[in-house]
Parts: sequence; C-alpha cells; structure tokens
Amino acid sequence: MKKNMRAVCTALGLAFTLANAAALAASLSVWAVDEPDNYTEKMAREFAKLHPDVQLQVRKVGFSALNDEAMRAVMSGNGPDVIPVDNPNTAMFAARNALLDLTPYLVKSKVIDVKQIFPGPLKNASWNGKVYAIPRGTNTLALYYNEDQFKAAGLDPNKPPQTWDELYAYAKKLTNAQKNIYGLAFSAVGDEEGVFQFLPFIQATGADWDKLNNPGAARAAAFWQKLLDDKLASPDTLSHRQSEAAATFINGNAAMDINGPWELMAVEKGAKFKWRVALLPTEKAGGTKASALGEQNHAILRTAKNPQVAFEFLEYMYSQRGRNWNEFGMLPPSKDTVTKDPKWPDAYKTFNEQMQYARPRGPNPEWPKVSKAISTAVQSVLTHQADPKKAMDAAYQTVQSIKK
Amino acid sequence: MNKLFARFPKESGFEITLAVFALAYLLVFAGLPLLYNIVLSFQQVDLMEPATLLRPFAGLANYHDIFSRPEARQVLVNTLLFVGLSLALQVVIGFLLALLFLQDFPFATFMRGLFLAGWIMPGLVVGVIWKLLFAGDFGVLNDLLMRSGILHDRIFWLSDPAYSIYAVIIANVWLGVPFNMLLLSVGLAAIPGDLYEAAELDGANALQRFFGITLPMMKATLGAVISLGAIMTMQQFDLIAALTQGGPANSSQVAQYWSWQLSFQTFEVSAGSAVATLMMILVLIVAVFYVRSTRNERMV
Repeated sequence: MKKNMRAVCTALGLAFTLANAAALAASLSVWAVDEPDNYTEKMAREFAKLHPDVQLQVRKVGFSALNDEAMRAVMSGNGPDVIPVDNPNTAMFAARNALLDLTPYLVKSKVIDVKQIFPGPLKNASWNGKVYAIPRGTNTLALYYNEDQFKAAGLDPNKPPQTWDELYAYAKKLTNAQKNIYGLAFSAVGDEEGVFQFLPFIQATGADWDKLNNPGAARAAAFWQKLLDDKLASPDTLSHRQSEAAATFINGNAAMDINGPWELMAVEKGAKFKWRVALLPTEKAGGTKASALGEQNHAILRTAKNPQVAFEFLEYMYSQRGRNWNEFGMLPPSKDTVTKDPKWPDAYKTFNEQMQYARPRGPNPEWPKVSKAISTAVQSVLTHQADPKKAMDAAYQTVQSIKK
Repeated sequence: MNKLFARFPKESGFEITLAVFALAYLLVFAGLPLLYNIVLSFQQVDLMEPATLLRPFAGLANYHDIFSRPEARQVLVNTLLFVGLSLALQVVIGFLLALLFLQDFPFATFMRGLFLAGWIMPGLVVGVIWKLLFAGDFGVLNDLLMRSGILHDRIFWLSDPAYSIYAVIIANVWLGVPFNMLLLSVGLAAIPGDLYEAAELDGANALQRFFGITLPMMKATLGAVISLGAIMTMQQFDLIAALTQGGPANSSQVAQYWSWQLSFQTFEVSAGSAVATLMMILVLIVAVFYVRSTRNERMV
C-alpha cells in the first residue's frame, strides 16, 4: 500500500512537472504598440483561442517607448517573444543581433511565401539578405479632402490638386480664418512621424534621405515653410501627430489632410461631410511621384523562449492579411492577398496606386539617428532658425557621418 | 575617523543592523546604477553589447561631444529656466495656498484635498490634459485669454519656439504646487500658536508677524521644499514627453529629456550618460543643501 502511494505520488509529481513544462513550452508573450483597432492584441487572442494550450500575455507599449523598451528587454534577456517594429527600425535591431533570423523558418513555412511579399515591405523587413521580420500589412500616405468644402470654395472635387503649386493655391482658397478652417493638415512633429510625412516631399524632387544636399530637399522644406508662414496649415503642425492632424480634418477644421489609410475608420466614423482620397501632389506637373512606406513588422526576439510558437503566431497573422483593409485600415503586404469586397473602394484604389510609389525608409541600422537629423533640420526651417539650404546641408553632413 | 567610530557603541546592535541594511540597499539599488552611469559616460558604448564593464575608455570625449553639439547652449539655458522658474513659482504659489488653507473657512480641507488630486495624477496624463489646454487653435487657455481681452492673437504655446519652454514650465508648476502646498502646510501647522498670540499682544500686524515669525520658523521647511522641488524638477520627464518632446527645434529641450533622447531614441548611450552624470552632480549639490536644511530642522 505504502509502495503504491509512493508510486502514485511520483507519477503525480511527474505529471505535474510535465504539465508545467508543457505549459511553459506553449507560453507566448507579445508586445503591442498603441494602434487603431488593437490589431496585435486581437490577433493574439484569436491565435490563443485556436491554441488552447498556449498561455498568452499581451503587453501594450507606447509607440515612442517601443525601441528603448525592446533594447532593454534584449539586454536583460527578459524580453517577450514577439515585438512589433516600425519598419525602418528592423535593420537597426537586426544589425545589433537582437532579432531571430527567420530565414530557416520561412524555408519550411507553408503559410508565408516570401516571394509574394511586395519588395518595399520586404526590404524593410530584411537586413543583409536575411529576413528578420514579417510585415503585418503596409501603408502609405495620400491626400484626404473634404468634398463639401471644395464645393463651397468653388473648387471641383473631381480635380484634386496635382502639383505643389495647386496644393498651395487650393489650400489658400480653402483656408477660412473666420470659420477656423485651415486649407491643409499634416504633421511636422519632431520625430519619426514628421519625417515619415516629409520624405515624400523631398523624394518628389529627386532628393532622398541620403541625398539631402540635393537642392530639392531645400525646396521641399521651403514649401512646407511657406504653407505654415501663410497660415494655410496650423502653426500647431509642428507639434501635431498624424492622429491630431486627422482629428482636425474630421472636425472640419482642415479641408485637406495628408494621412494614411489607418485613419479611414476614424474618418468614416467622425466625418459629417463627403470626403475623398487623392494621390499626393508632385512638385511639377508630370513630376516624380513619391510616397512614404509605413506600417509595422513583427519580429521574434533572439532571446524568445518559444521561437516556434512565436513563428506560428507570425504565420497566423500573415494568414489573416485578407482582413487588413476592411478591419484595420492596412494595405495588403503581398501580391497574393485577396481583399474581399473592399470598403471605401475608391480610397482602396487610390492607396493601392499610391503604394506603387512608396519608398522604404532606409534600411539603415542607424535609422533613428538619420531620422533625428532630418526632423531637426525640418523643424529649424519651419521655425525660421535656419534657412532651408543650410539646414538640409547640415543634415546631409550628419547623415553622411552616420552612414560611414 | 576615530571620532566617527566612537559614536557607534552608544547605539544598540539592532539599530546598527538596520543601518547596515539601509546602507546595503542604497549601495545596490542607488549606488551601483549611479556608478555604472558614470562609468558609461567615460566609455565608448555600443548598445546591444552585453552588459559588461570592459569597454573602450573614451576619456572626456563624451563630455566634449555633448558640449560641441549645436543644441548644447540652448539645452543649458532651457534647463536653468525650467528648474529656476518652476521652483520659484511652485514655492511662492504653494506657500500662498498653504497660508490660505491655514485660515478657517468652510470646505477648507475639502478644497485642499482637491488640490492634491492634481499631484497624484501621472505626469503623462497631466501632459495630455495640458496639451489640450495649450492647443493653439482650439485650446481652452487661448480661448480664456482672448475672451478676457488679455490676448488679441492666439499663442501657439507648444509650437512657437518663443513660448514652448514656458508652456512646459506652466504645466510643471501646476503639477508641483500641491506637493509644495502640502509640505509647507505641515511646516506652518508646526509653528506654535502662542507665538502669534504673543506677537499680536505686542501689536505686530499681519505683515510683521509673517516676516517676524512665519518666515524664520519656516526656514528649515522651505529649505527642504526647495531642494526636493529642485530634484523633482530635474527629474521631470513625462510632461515634456507628452507636451513638446523638447521641440519645436529644441526650443523646449531640457537636460533630462535630452539625456533620454540621446540614450534611447538615437542610442548614443555614451553622450546620454554624460548628460545624466552632469545632472547628477547638480542633484548632488542640491541634495547637500537638503541634508543641511533637515539637519537644522532637528536642532530647532
């Protein structure tokens, strides 16, 4: 009897240990940054429902705190399994050996076919020829405009502005100080968001983040300066995030707004007017079209405890990409994505067309420094502390010294 | 040294044990990170290297680096403005409020409690609220100032480089006043009432009583409040993150936020540590004042 008891105890103990081990093996810890519609959190909960043995932990991290929190997590070895990464920063994390190389997993994957992913998003998910992250979707910028205000100002809503000159002229006609309406809203805030908005303007001139000495960069900065100086955009553009710019558009206090598809849900919900979306204007008629490439990637930290489960989660998210547009305001990340019955079909068409001109930021493992140099230059121009050419030349020097 | 040890036998073993624990705690959780920060500021640091003490020695290069940056001067001026103005306003307003709530009037304690609510709120939340108040186009502050005829044109508090630092200071003063009021109230309550009675009998008016009794009796408390306020202001980070992020164009950049940006936004950890070390020296100087003022307090 005693012997039996002992055996039972041992068996129970063993079972307990095994159960514990199994539970540990199937834990998944995910970070999510503040985002519209809680994409990551929703996906993680769906994944956990499909895998009842998975212990799920989701933690919200602020967008601006993500980089340093993730770095600290890697250094201390106590990081989560899956982190979202703003796409230009994937190279930074990968170059510093913080991320798991997904290439071997992708070779075996039946869900993710890398060849189908659009080149821009793929470039921003890779470093040195290896894939370190999976784009959850993609996005870019376009011009939202208020059809009712266009009509009221005597402008044809079927002819949105095509060039910078037209954008300026339209904005001037649409601005109505008495009614508290600015012609245009955008974000020139002093961090990555402002840079994201500025890059399409310099790229339209032939300049780029690594060619800031190209006179086009100064022309773009001067154009932004003119929009602010002439009060066609709110002086608070300097401290507005993109969501705040969208809010002024939705409230009818800005007739046009440069923003991304992630705001579509908010616009649909809040706007009490007819609105449309147009391609970003080019510098001159028939000039270079350009747009920023955004959206987050999901990566697995090198220190992840369950890389296999984490990768299965990335696969699950990727498999749901057909829902990107209608539910989360993201564009498809791959050629083979099927978006059934897209909401806002005109906007879908416009954003997809704009996507063809979207250029990746970087990739450069020092992107945060590059970004800082650009936003410093832009803000010093907009506040008249430096003239556009000098500011852009200085930023060029900084970027050159970083690149080496 | 002998004199120092000579003190110990008077204390009981229990007290010494407690003191040893406190000292060990300080060393591990406050001392080591501080030391590590100082070490970092003299090294070349590449982030993501495992936490090791052996990194290339950089000498004073990091300090030279931060001072040669174009924004260094502005950061210095802004930091002095931020700490100086915040402190002066917090102490004066806090003192006036403490005096006010010392008077006996209906709901005095209730209202004092309301003031404290502001102090409990996290800096980030306060920042978000103040961002709405400061908004240029539709902000409450501009609306009030324009309605009352003080302003004719809107001020873009957070986007105009001439105002941004003051906007952050105003929000910080608002955040710090309840704390000042609380400590100063305690100090005021500790002044024996018969002092005032005697003074009144001698014919001293309110102003004379304030400068003759209140102020001298409050010296120790004021010293403590000012030093603690200086330390808290030098640590203030959340507000700046929520309001201006040091912008536009560094016009509201202060040392503590700069240090964070360098360390964790552009990952220039060495430069960030150098700024942090300089801040630490400042805090140390203030801390010495604090210790001295509390020592006086014990003697009173």
